[in-house]
Amino acid sequence: MKKTQWLWCTLSTLVACSGDKGGDSGSSGEGEIVWSEAFDATEAGALSGIWGSGPDDVFAVGGDAERGTVTHYDGAGWTTGEIPGASLLVWVYGFGPGEVYTVGVDGSAARYDGSSWTPVETGTDHDLWGIFGFSSDEMWVVGGDPDDGNDCGDASQKGQKTCIWRWDGQSELVPVAIGAGENDRGTTSMFKVWGIDGKLFSVGQTGLVLEWDGSSWSRVSMGAEANDDFVSLWGTSADNMVMVGGRGSARIATYDGAAWTTTAPAGVAGINGVHMVEPDQAIVGGLYGWVAAYQPSTGELTDEGFAGSIDVHAVWGDGEGKTYAVGGHFLEPYHGSASVRTVEG
Amino acid sequence: MLRWLPLTALVACSGDETDSIVPIERVWQSHGEIAPNISSRMGDVIPSATDEQRATFERGLAVATRRFSLEDGLGPGFNVTFCAACHEKPDFGGSAGLYRNFAIGAEQTDDGVVFPGDSAGNESGVVRVYYYGHDYPARPPVATDVEIIAQRNAIPFFGVGLLAELTEEEILSRADEFDADGDGISGRPNYEEGFVGRFGLKAQTVSIEGFIRGPLSNHLGVTTDPLCHELRAALPVDSSSADDEPCADSSAALNLDWMRPGVLPYGQAAAQSGPITDADDAPDPELSVSDLFDLVSYAMLLGAPAVEDISENQSAKNGQLLFDDMGCGDCHTPRLDSPRGPLPIYSDLLLHDMGEELDDGLRIAGMQNALGSEFRTQPLWGLAAVGPYLHDGRAHTIYEAIDMHGGEAQAGADAFAALSSWERDDVAEFLMSLGGRDQLSPGLVPPDDPLRAVGEYGGPVRALSADEEERFLAGRELFDFEFGFSDGAGGPRFNGDSCRACHFEPVIGGSGPRGVNVMRHGITSGDAFTSPNVGTILHKQTRDLTDVVRAQDAADIFEHRQTPALFGLGLIDDLDEAVITASADPDDTESPDGITGRVSWTDGGQVGRFGWKAQVPSLTEFVRDAVSAEFGMTLDYEEGLTFGAIQDNDDVPDPEFAPEDAELLADFMRMLGPPPRTSTDAAAEAAGEDVFVAVGCDGCHTPSLEGPEGPVELYSDLLLHEVLPEGESGIEEASAGEREFRTAPLWGLAVTGPYLHDGSADTIVQAIEGHAGEATGVVEAYQALSEADRAALNAFLESL
Repeated sequence: MKKTQWLWCTLSTLVACSGDKGGDSGSSGEGEIVWSEAFDATEAGALSGIWGSGPDDVFAVGGDAERGTVTHYDGAGWTTGEIPGASLLVWVYGFGPGEVYTVGVDGSAARYDGSSWTPVETGTDHDLWGIFGFSSDEMWVVGGDPDDGNDCGDASQKGQKTCIWRWDGQSELVPVAIGAGENDRGTTSMFKVWGIDGKLFSVGQTGLVLEWDGSSWSRVSMGAEANDDFVSLWGTSADNMVMVGGRGSARIATYDGAAWTTTAPAGVAGINGVHMVEPDQAIVGGLYGWVAAYQPSTGELTDEGFAGSIDVHAVWGDGEGKTYAVGGHFLEPYHGSASVRTVEG
Repeated sequence: MLRWLPLTALVACSGDETDSIVPIERVWQSHGEIAPNISSRMGDVIPSATDEQRATFERGLAVATRRFSLEDGLGPGFNVTFCAACHEKPDFGGSAGLYRNFAIGAEQTDDGVVFPGDSAGNESGVVRVYYYGHDYPARPPVATDVEIIAQRNAIPFFGVGLLAELTEEEILSRADEFDADGDGISGRPNYEEGFVGRFGLKAQTVSIEGFIRGPLSNHLGVTTDPLCHELRAALPVDSSSADDEPCADSSAALNLDWMRPGVLPYGQAAAQSGPITDADDAPDPELSVSDLFDLVSYAMLLGAPAVEDISENQSAKNGQLLFDDMGCGDCHTPRLDSPRGPLPIYSDLLLHDMGEELDDGLRIAGMQNALGSEFRTQPLWGLAAVGPYLHDGRAHTIYEAIDMHGGEAQAGADAFAALSSWERDDVAEFLMSLGGRDQLSPGLVPPDDPLRAVGEYGGPVRALSADEEERFLAGRELFDFEFGFSDGAGGPRFNGDSCRACHFEPVIGGSGPRGVNVMRHGITSGDAFTSPNVGTILHKQTRDLTDVVRAQDAADIFEHRQTPALFGLGLIDDLDEAVITASADPDDTESPDGITGRVSWTDGGQVGRFGWKAQVPSLTEFVRDAVSAEFGMTLDYEEGLTFGAIQDNDDVPDPEFAPEDAELLADFMRMLGPPPRTSTDAAAEAAGEDVFVAVGCDGCHTPSLEGPEGPVELYSDLLLHEVLPEGESGIEEASAGEREFRTAPLWGLAVTGPYLHDGSADTIVQAIEGHAGEATGVVEAYQALSEADRAALNAFLESL
């Protein structure tokens, strides 16, 4: 990534859903919004996931065709390393500084104990796109093969293309049976799984959304606009979540605790990453590095320009003023980018 | 002739002003100036192109017309074998007849989500009608869950580079999504990846590269890699962005000073990241980067159709005034401002609600934000020569197209319907003046295309008298003529809408590439073969434009049928039956050599001689068979003839095809000359002929049969032989068994590939080695040949 390509704080004329901010910087009610480079991702390759246990303990995962990388922020600087034997890593989630997990393509997975990463044999070569758990001994992993659609259910579920596994972080993944009627659109990949306060959802290809009710996964009605991939979700409570997706055109869905409402905002390209710290603000990022603040209560998207020029794949905020957006190109030569949003002044 | 009525009506208006003059209450004014150096003959390069761009254009044209073979990476699922197959009218880069329609299938969930149906592993929703491979049948099934079907007629590329140069602001300036001005016309932009869409029937695409890479994958099964930064920057319309990958082999320093992330010179960064791999064995990418660059450049350099100066055309001037009065220009905006000046595009490039009748139901992600009833206003430049019209080609004439407008265009359609007939003609005359009239043809053969010489492909069998020449040319024109639904084509199923649709390699009357294969199918049960209810032909097209042709559930065997060339058919038609039957040796007793040879007796008790199973006895019957089986049209009953349907299920009165036209077609084929022999290395060819005999090819591929005018050197005995492997199932037809095929004539072999009945052989060598059954011994003898002998044999066969 050449630094000459970065143009900080640029507000694009592309999306006209925000007010006229003018100039080269945005502003919030509290100060000026600034997006800047978080770290030079040249060594890390394409980046796909980011999570931290706190402001001084952040992990960004990615890699390239040959390797999986983890870039760690320890409060002083960013350090990139490789996990032996791992393919490109897609998502990272943890339960504290001493217990972090990452998953990736070709069934790659690893566990961090606070000092080092240990690869874990998952028993599958499916691509693993997302990981989440309410506790470390009861995690969920989702994935699949968007192009191939190989079976990934348990032995009783021949033909199941919807890939969800239980995981204890140490043993092999345990496939979970999904009722044949739940995948009503031939979805061959689930992209993320996330929950809060007992509510747990998994989102995937062609807008398929599944909810865990404590004993089984069942399909959630998302409305006619949910005809494209959902890629990610986040929230602040069991009745306040935001889901993002779309490829050529964005999809944004909000959850009020009872139902999801999906919209397809005109003129907005696909959105991959979302993170929420405040109840009425989600920071989102998508194609071409475009970033914005989304207000669930009004549906307003406030354009914050471009965090670099490479597709954003994940957004995560540390809760203390910094929100990171990482991304990359998943084709040779696997460029990546990492930027951070701060509010100054 | 009835079939010429619509066009005749239009043409008559232009030259006959006295019939169509109406009082002009207002002073006519042109729709305005036009940017210089943008217009050309449709299919030609834009006049402003540099010498370097013209060279690129020619290379790109070669890519657009290149027939992809299986070895090149065609398939495994596909619809056509080359880009220009669907972009051929009136010249390469244009549109196509109904026979090139393709379907998009979708499913709908209980909660209203519409998503593309899978077709032979393709998830775009594009239905693929051919498959070479093991994962699907030769005709991949369309799942019963795919209940939403919309057909698409090819849209022309002329001037697309100019559309790419339009600013987003120019398109957005006419958007009025909620009809704030209260004129009943809304218009909203579509977007792809945040950019204002401009290409495709739903304006769903912003990138010409994406608009080419997608169809390459969906329709040809040919994979490509996205162009890298420097190449996008070098395209005739700079399509680079900061998001592009730099070219790996480029040492050029990137000049990124002008860039703002995501903001592009022409808003074109959004090349789709379509599939870069597929399921065949050919290495990916199957089209090289340089070829893709040339192909995209070619499309960008296609000139805009030339709009006529109508200042002296009273009918067109009146038509323009009516066009304006009816509000047509509210969507069909006469001019859009481009960096080069005004473009006479007659489109606002916005989405409009076109009503329930045209609603295609495709509210799928690939169409971005467009609803099923919403379509981009189609540009009208070049309209005269790019019919049929509307998104699925349902309108055969301009009149029909206007009448079928609905939704927010209903008022315009109503106004058109209320006009007098001569006013309607004036409107049509104006629309015809928007380009392409001089290239208008009833098919693809250009107007005034000369008669080819005797001895040339497509030339007559001998020197013709003046009357014969006139009949030959009239027959060729009819052979080329594209029949529409209103003529009775599609009853309800069809494969082609003209004879030329399938017979055009290397010229009209020839063979066809795999993209026009006929599909045969059947039901096997033990050793028994059963024909499906609809017959063994599984058609490719249907006049029900909201459906696709699906096989009967029980069908379990599907076979491609390559389109054979028609050169020299008159000479075969003239052969006495005794000449054919004389070689028969059904029990291999006449000359015990492992080669049998059985006469194909047809239902009428005649000797079959045409078709892969020798199922048709004469050219007259051949025409009747093709008109019915391929066009879906009906003919008169004629005593003694057994082919040809006399009634069908459409609402066009039967018979739909006139007897004199059937005879004209037969006469054209009777006069069509045989393939000319060629020679590039006489010694090798002579040696090869010896090899041909030595290995036993001539056991079935009899060099000549004696005709009334002398030997006919077709290299076939016209008999049936078992050439499929033992135990393999096939299609029974007439008296030919599942494994039996007529010995294919070899004349013209070099230019009429692919080979074998199912077109599975790319090369002559593959064709030889693809023989089995009673040809097994010959194949083994061939495989034992030295390289030199094989080369000589190949040279000989190519000389035929």
